[in-house]
Amino acid sequence: MVWFEVKKVFSRASGKISLAVLAALLAVTCWLAVSHIDYVNADGDIVTGIRAVRMLRSDKEKWEGYITENVLRSVIRENAAINASDEARSENVKEQNKAYAKKQGFDDIRDMINRAFCSFREYNYYRADSITEEEVGGLYEQRVARLREWLYSEEVYDHYTEEERAFLIEQYESLKTPFYYAVSDGWQAVLYYAQTIVMIGMLVCGFLVSSVFSGEFQTKADAVFFSSKYGRSKAIAAKVKAGYLIVTVLYWILILSYSAIVLAATGTGGGNCAIQTSFTYGKSFYHITFFELWLLMVFGGYIGWLFILTLTMLVSVLTRSPVLAVMIPFIILFLPSFVGGFSVLSDMLGLWPDQLLNIGEAIMLFNLYRVGGHIAGALPVVFTMYSCLYLVLPPALYLAYRKTGID
Amino acid sequence: MELKLTEVTKKYGGFTAVDNISLTMTGGVYGLLGVNGAGKTTLMRMLCTLLKPTSGSITCDGRDIFAMDASYRGLLGYLPQDFGFYPDFTVRDYLRYIASIKGLRPAVAAKRTEELIGRVGLVKAADKKMKKLSGGMKRRAGIAQAMLNDPKILILDEPTSGLDPNERIRFRNLISELSEERMVLLSTHIVPDVEYIANEIWLMKDGVMVQSGTPDEVIASMPERVWICRTDKQTASKLMERYQVSNIKTEAQGAELRLIAAACPAEGARQTEASLEDVFLYYFGEKAGEENGVV
Ligand SMILES: Nc1ncnc2c1ncn2[C@@H]1O[C@H](COP(=O)(O)OP(=O)(O)O)[C@@H](O)[C@H]1O
Ligand SMILES: [Mg+2]
Repeated sequence: MVWFEVKKVFSRASGKISLAVLAALLAVTCWLAVSHIDYVNADGDIVTGIRAVRMLRSDKEKWEGYITENVLRSVIRENAAINASDEARSENVKEQNKAYAKKQGFDDIRDMINRAFCSFREYNYYRADSITEEEVGGLYEQRVARLREWLYSEEVYDHYTEEERAFLIEQYESLKTPFYYAVSDGWQAVLYYAQTIVMIGMLVCGFLVSSVFSGEFQTKADAVFFSSKYGRSKAIAAKVKAGYLIVTVLYWILILSYSAIVLAATGTGGGNCAIQTSFTYGKSFYHITFFELWLLMVFGGYIGWLFILTLTMLVSVLTRSPVLAVMIPFIILFLPSFVGGFSVLSDMLGLWPDQLLNIGEAIMLFNLYRVGGHIAGALPVVFTMYSCLYLVLPPALYLAYRKTGID
Repeated sequence: MELKLTEVTKKYGGFTAVDNISLTMTGGVYGLLGVNGAGKTTLMRMLCTLLKPTSGSITCDGRDIFAMDASYRGLLGYLPQDFGFYPDFTVRDYLRYIASIKGLRPAVAAKRTEELIGRVGLVKAADKKMKKLSGGMKRRAGIAQAMLNDPKILILDEPTSGLDPNERIRFRNLISELSEERMVLLSTHIVPDVEYIANEIWLMKDGVMVQSGTPDEVIASMPERVWICRTDKQTASKLMERYQVSNIKTEAQGAELRLIAAACPAEGARQTEASLEDVFLYYFGEKAGEENGVV
């Protein structure tokens, strides 16, 4: 029965089109993620793609290891030396690029210095240029000091309680230092475009699953369905199962092939480094590595798909129309950008289901929630909440469909 | 087996579609005759547990069919008037799927599917998509679907409507074949569909069962008689205004009319045996003429 339900979905033209769209999506996102990495060669020309990945890695590998005071000092030293070169001082962009080319190996560490020495909400690429070798040793203290400064600034003072400030500062302080640095460009590339594939993939999948239930009404096959022996029991369970089978198989095929392809092209190194060593996630207060972030992203996306797509199916049962149902994923994804302007809602939006599909963003937010006397970031709350909410949906779906038709 | 309706009423809001119907079915073919809107589909949907009666009860061997749930539906085969299917399934896949939701084990389902494909004459079309079938073939797939679980109760809602005359005759024969060893309820607004195959006729009008019984009993129930008279054209048109006319044969000099009247309608008219069509005309008025064509 389950197999026939799956077949029903994919025998339609819309089912086949959706599959083609998903395949195209996979190809495009892989390409974007890989070509996103660029490298400036010794001639000052920009190289992208797999060649860039290799060259960048060989430059950066020299800097792998713990980022101790000594390492930080040599970064400042080399940086200053390059800045003093003729190329760097030239007015010619090409010449400047040649100077930059020499910085690429330590650019990640140089960026850490920029972040630690700018105020919390600012970023100045040239900040490292004016840091002395003496100052740079205080990088890890500076990180915490910048956070503290921001937490006590007028901008957000009212937003946090004393306890919450203490929580965030504690999170920063307890992060193990010195950081271990390794080239993590591959993981970063995967994470960077993951939300694209997870979100668009879900919208497409919404089209597929919205017809699982409402298709019966659309084709008027419901009379035969409901008047058959198992039409109000096993056959409905088969539909629920088919819905999950489609969601699950498509999700894992999509996310695992995407990750595998991108990692194969860009390298799997650096998975065990703290995400704070990267430019993108440098300020996050969660203590996790790139590999753990990837896991969070992958499972968050799955829970998000399950929750949102089950809701889609439920709406398709209640309204008997696939049209309204396919709008659900769109509404969930796009509502936050419409109402995002109202700061009153920002705490609530931190728990909106789209966060599960967007772990890369969520990991950088500073929303805090109080759950049973504990303070927690949005991620653990979102994970727990939607896993639980999701568990009540399949029975609701079954019962709602079972009751249709008899009036 | 006994399927029994007791004072069954179905209301849609304030509108009564089925009005206080009590009937018993035990076996054979039942022909449910009525014009469009009489309430046939509503009655059948209740028998298929798709609608709950507003009041009254339907029992199968004494047990409420809604309480019996799956065990009742296991006895049921249903071809809806507005027969819907999965357009992109092949006939074979469609039947196998329906067999699975009817609880047939895969091996049995496969065997039964092939058997029925042969029986309804769809062997050549078995691997065609349902949406590619002609109207008559779709209907035959519909019958095959209803027969998969070898139902003890077969409910066919206007199975012949929209078919061309040849298809209709083949279909009638098919139904007649299938009616052995089961109870068949067949609705139609076309008298010849049930005239010869039904053991019992139910005449339904505006939600009410106006007559029921064997064809002979129903014919005998008509209080007026059927007459044939040959007249000139002028008299013919007068007669047509006064009486229900079931047939007119135009001739060179005038016309031969078949009409229903309590007493001799005109000089020279001779009484003749009433047919089911005359009865239908008598109870349902001029509407009956629509399909059967007054010249
Ligand atoms: N869902 C409904 N809501 C309101 N009225 C309905 C509904 N279904 C049928 N009816 C009305 O009930 C009457 C009987 O319809 P139906 O059972 O389809 O008759 P038949 O099958 O004899 O043509 C019709 O007047 C129809 O308009
Ligand atoms: Mg009808």
